Amino acid sequence: MNKRILIVDDSFYMRTMLKNMLTDAGYEVVGEAANGAQALEMATATTPDLITLDVILPDNTGLDVLKSLRQSQPSAKVVMCSAVGQEVIVNEAIENGALAYIVKPFSEEKVLEIVGAALKSDSPEQAA
Amino acid sequence: MKTRDQEYREMFMAEALEYYDSMSRHLSELERNPNAGPALNELFRLMHNLKANARAMGFNDLGEVAHHLETLFGLIRDQERTFSGSLIRVVFAGVDALGNMIRAVGANQPLPDATALLENLDRLVRGEEPILDETEAAETEEESNKKMELSDLVYIQVKKLDNLLNLVGELVIDRDRIMTLAQELDNPALLATAQHLFRISDDLQYSVMDARLVGVGVLLNKFPRVVRDVASAEDKEVELTLSGQDVQIDRNILQIITDALLHLVRNAVSHGLETKEQRAKAGKPPVGRLTLSALTERDDVLIQVGDDGRGIDTESVRRKAVERGLTTASAAAGLSEQAVWAFLFEPGFSMAQQVTDISGRGVGLDVVKLALDSLGGQLRVESQLGVGTTFTLVLPTSIAVKGALLVEVEERPYAVPLLHTDTVLSLHPGQISVVGGVMVTHFQEQSVPLVPLRQLLYDEGDGPLPLATRDDIVGPQQVLVVNYNNRRLGLVVDRFIRQQNIVIKPLSKPLDTIDLFGGVTLLGSGQVCLVLDVPALTRLFLNKRP
Repeated sequence: MNKRILIVDDSFYMRTMLKNMLTDAGYEVVGEAANGAQALEMATATTPDLITLDVILPDNTGLDVLKSLRQSQPSAKVVMCSAVGQEVIVNEAIENGALAYIVKPFSEEKVLEIVGAALKSDSPEQAA
Repeated sequence: MKTRDQEYREMFMAEALEYYDSMSRHLSELERNPNAGPALNELFRLMHNLKANARAMGFNDLGEVAHHLETLFGLIRDQERTFSGSLIRVVFAGVDALGNMIRAVGANQPLPDATALLENLDRLVRGEEPILDETEAAETEEESNKKMELSDLVYIQVKKLDNLLNLVGELVIDRDRIMTLAQELDNPALLATAQHLFRISDDLQYSVMDARLVGVGVLLNKFPRVVRDVASAEDKEVELTLSGQDVQIDRNILQIITDALLHLVRNAVSHGLETKEQRAKAGKPPVGRLTLSALTERDDVLIQVGDDGRGIDTESVRRKAVERGLTTASAAAGLSEQAVWAFLFEPGFSMAQQVTDISGRGVGLDVVKLALDSLGGQLRVESQLGVGTTFTLVLPTSIAVKGALLVEVEERPYAVPLLHTDTVLSLHPGQISVVGGVMVTHFQEQSVPLVPLRQLLYDEGDGPLPLATRDDIVGPQQVLVVNYNNRRLGLVVDRFIRQQNIVIKPLSKPLDTIDLFGGVTLLGSGQVCLVLDVPALTRLFLNKRP
């Protein structure tokens, strides 16, 4: 079974690029959310194996979304996605159960490496 | 040619222009209310996105300006700076510069220099006063007033385009009715208006179809990765060549054939191409060649998957077809290569595991065939033992509107999609022979069985068709030669009406279970016309032939 991934990013361009990279590598992208509310809704509807979560979203911070996701979808692995300059938030996200982070602009190799490693690792509730 | 890079670029541009417009809007809001929290958050987010996207595209100068502005807006948001005084001037100049840079990207021009601006932004971040050049500032302001642009690209849901195409379909049917009425009433004014309507709706129909077209490249460009993965799993070296990515096709057609194409490509790598050792033994270069190409042929789009592998072992397929009871040994012996390969598309032909002796080609090919049948397309095979195999998918460019030949049987019109018609013949009794109760004629050095369409459509029951005798053949016979899966069949009809473009509507329940008909269309006269499904007719004939 292909691993199922939900992409959360407010930029259409970023989502498309991530989706292409992940789909090409054989992952199934089960949804694309452009804001926090959509992200929570789609995570519940699709129960993905992994969620890539942008740090800055229009309606909500990625950190708030992460906290809600940890409550509603504890088995989903979360990888943060951020451009440089947001290290403080990213570190806080890691403390709150995100497994790793991808720094934009990202290369295909880097994305696949991080996503692959995150999927292989123990789910956060087991690690905790 | 639209490569993935070009698509990314167009996407980047569309989004960047959208961001730029939003930035300008939020800036004016901020000018009225310097503490507007939501506007500050939005500006921060937009700068952040633009920075990330620009860097991903390699537009580093653009990314740099956005990065500086992001930092500055972060400071304003955190109340370490205020949106006032000289800062406002620099921020506006910064957003103007972003606009100019985005436009330069769109026009493929070098990005304007931003050194002075970056210097000023740096100063503001450090808490120093910027160095302002009065004349330059005034000029920029004036310029920004002139350049007000909206993005040239609109993203639209396929569902909306589907709806549009359906409406156009309805319109075309009404148009044909009005045309017919105008001719019947013989009113010159009405006729002129109807002709005008005809031209306009024709243009409209093609415009809508055109809006749904995408480059085949959007699908083909996904394959290098697939090929690499399958090849490495099989320990093979494969060189993939793509061509014709710019060939245009309806987006939904591309969607429907995605799995079929994936299947053919995987099959070609794992079964079509030999292992390195086998290739060495056969005197072939170790790297297998795979081509994936798209081209247009008349109104159709051809997508070809070709390999230089082992080819199809026709004799094995022939034996297997007999083993599986698909044909008799004597009949099989007389079949052409093409006719033998057609067995590969029979459902479940290679369900058995001993498929390696026929290059494993049969696995799931019926699924490929099914996808093509649902589109009214065709699947062709060319293969030479030891040299390679090429599968060709013949696809319509657009959904819904198809060329068709209208024929008449028992005073009822029927439409046959042109995709499945080879030719029409008017045969004298002397050109027809009767072999084993079946009428046969010779056409292009092939014997083609003939069957009255009337018998296929109106004879009830599962029994065999009545035996044909010479006495049945009176006068010239109008024959439509159809072709399905490399099998030709001559349908004897009462007369040919004309060729025309038709809009096929699916049959609604409970009629949708009758598989002889692919749908229904309305003729200009308002008459309902059934669209014949050639694959189903061919299968029916094979099942019922005496």
